[in-house]
Amino acid sequence: MLEMLHRYGPDLLTGFGLTLLTWVLGTVGGLVLGFFLEMARRFGPRFWIGWPIRAYVEFIRGTPFLVQLFVLYYGGPLIGLRLDALPAGVLGLSLYGAAYFTEILRAGFDAVPKGQIEAARAIGLPGRTIVWRIMLPVMMVSALPALVNFAIILTKETVILSMITVPEIMFQTQTMMSETFAFVLPILILALFFWGFVEVISRFGRRLERRFTHYLLEES
Amino acid sequence: MSLEPTATSPASAHLRAVNKFYGDFQALKDITLDIPPGKVTCLIGPSGSGKSTLLRCINFLEEYDSGEVRIDDRLIGYETPGGKRMSGRRLREMRCDIGMVFQQFNLWPHMTALQNVAEGLERVRGLKRAEATARAREALAKVGLADKEANHPSRLSGGQQQRVAIARAIAMQPRIMLFDEPTSALDPELVGEVLAVMKQLAAEGMTMVVVTHEMGFAAHVADRVVFMERGELVAAGAPREIFQHPTDQRLASFLQGYRERNSLDF
Amino acid sequence: MFSFQTIVENLPTLLGAARYTLLISVLGCAQGLILGALLCAAALSKRTALRRAAGLYVSFFRGVPLLIQLLVAYYLLPVVGINVPPLAAAVLTVGLCAAAYLSEVLRGSINAIPKGQAEAALAIGMSPGDLWVRVLLPQALKIGLPAIVNELILLVKASSLVTVVGIVEITRMSQSIASSTYRYLEIYLAAAFLYLAINLVIAAAGRLLERRLTV
Repeated sequence: MLEMLHRYGPDLLTGFGLTLLTWVLGTVGGLVLGFFLEMARRFGPRFWIGWPIRAYVEFIRGTPFLVQLFVLYYGGPLIGLRLDALPAGVLGLSLYGAAYFTEILRAGFDAVPKGQIEAARAIGLPGRTIVWRIMLPVMMVSALPALVNFAIILTKETVILSMITVPEIMFQTQTMMSETFAFVLPILILALFFWGFVEVISRFGRRLERRFTHYLLEES
Repeated sequence: MSLEPTATSPASAHLRAVNKFYGDFQALKDITLDIPPGKVTCLIGPSGSGKSTLLRCINFLEEYDSGEVRIDDRLIGYETPGGKRMSGRRLREMRCDIGMVFQQFNLWPHMTALQNVAEGLERVRGLKRAEATARAREALAKVGLADKEANHPSRLSGGQQQRVAIARAIAMQPRIMLFDEPTSALDPELVGEVLAVMKQLAAEGMTMVVVTHEMGFAAHVADRVVFMERGELVAAGAPREIFQHPTDQRLASFLQGYRERNSLDF
Repeated sequence: MFSFQTIVENLPTLLGAARYTLLISVLGCAQGLILGALLCAAALSKRTALRRAAGLYVSFFRGVPLLIQLLVAYYLLPVVGINVPPLAAAVLTVGLCAAAYLSEVLRGSINAIPKGQAEAALAIGMSPGDLWVRVLLPQALKIGLPAIVNELILLVKASSLVTVVGIVEITRMSQSIASSTYRYLEIYLAAAFLYLAINLVIAAAGRLLERRLTV
């Protein structure tokens, strides 16, 4: 067992690192893109922007992530989009996450009381300031749990990148299993890794939630 | 953006043949009304009569469909009467001279009382942080809440929240102030503190337009009372004319109903 | 050039493979509901051990990616001497995973049923089993219907992962067609839209059912 860990340790570490990397990049990419989509949908022309975004969200949410990756990675070259597995995987995760994040953000923005926005307009705050200083902090109270929850779902989607040969943790353990025919240890490692990973993120999420909602709980 | 107030003299407002539709429903019918500078004008009438809509047209939170609304002589909302919408920048410029106080206070929950008041000074008037804070403190002191500056709205009573909202408006040094049923959401015992602040503002010569159900306030503080019903301006005059000698039948029955509900006389 | 021809030619084959997609997701959902109801009963039980076990089950199956669960079933079960055919292993695994999510859905729904109803049932001497089967579950299924339909849609998408245990459903079939025709973009897009169509139909059927039940 020790010998196996010694032999595959470096590969497993690379795998851990790549899983973390793809998750971070995919989540951040998805959040940024999702935010832009929401801004475009909220403030852009309904027909030319609103409908295509609606269709995009429906497509992503109605199809398996695995098939989306295949379209991007194997189908991309036909339209001149030639990407290596890793960038394709990160891009795929971001595009996938954006569709879900944008819906969460939309629900959050819709839940901001209209009067608080009117009060901002009444004293002449410009639109961008209203979004950043009023709407975003207020909506975080309702949207943050859902955002964190989806970020956790994304950790589990990263293993699907192994199917387009991104050498993340799943890929590494599969290699290990097929070469050593040992199954228990690799699977144990995987399960432990994800359990810890998800636990860390949810703790971080709870801390973030406290930060955004402290004003509801503070003692006077 | 830096928009230092250009003049501090109270402004007047003028509505000419203003119409407003929600689909087929006409919320305002051909309203013509002058709001004199430095005076208190109260809008009264049954709910759904268009009082709030009219008030919100004055700072263009409600977009009127035809007619003219002017602050002094500057048209608000459109470049020319019936013409193109004015730019967002020019609209904001005009709005920071028009203070507004809402029924539901609409304080921003994630900011302290002080931050609520300083936000506009910093981001709209373009003051430095220190100066904005100092001026926000003055405004809070004026409404009697100097000791509550660090509280978030969730830690303030309704009356205190509404006073912070008034401080937020007056800190901008507006030349006219709009009050949209400022006491309707308050518990009865908290109404007095808000009305007291409003009386003080009136005494200082602020132009005020107040939509209210507080007939006592209208009778004693207003210089002019305007009665609306079903989107129409029915009667306008000095409080005495309106309350003691109502000539219009609809106004008389509205007041009759109010007296019966509250069983008091004024 | 984008070739619609390829899509048209291969659509019947993909549709044929869709049977397996539907089979796995529908059977998985059914199994998930039955097992989920038991888990939910355990989670709401007075016995601490039962509650703990249910909690552990749910956190494991929700915390570990389905792809890993499938590999466990595929590699580990034979090791311990259980030989199940791939299709059965796939349905079983998908169902086990679905049970974790559905038990939470049912728990939320049962919490939404006024407490007085259970008390009334016990007051007339109904057995706990009857209480669950005749009073609580029928209502929980109705209250939770939107979430259950949503779970079925998730399962349709998740079923694409059973390619790893060698079942030729839509995704596996599109892989083999794509690699023999070299028409990757067309075939994978066709597969994607096939999934989308299935899910739109399920969503519409769910809404119809919901309206039926509420009137």
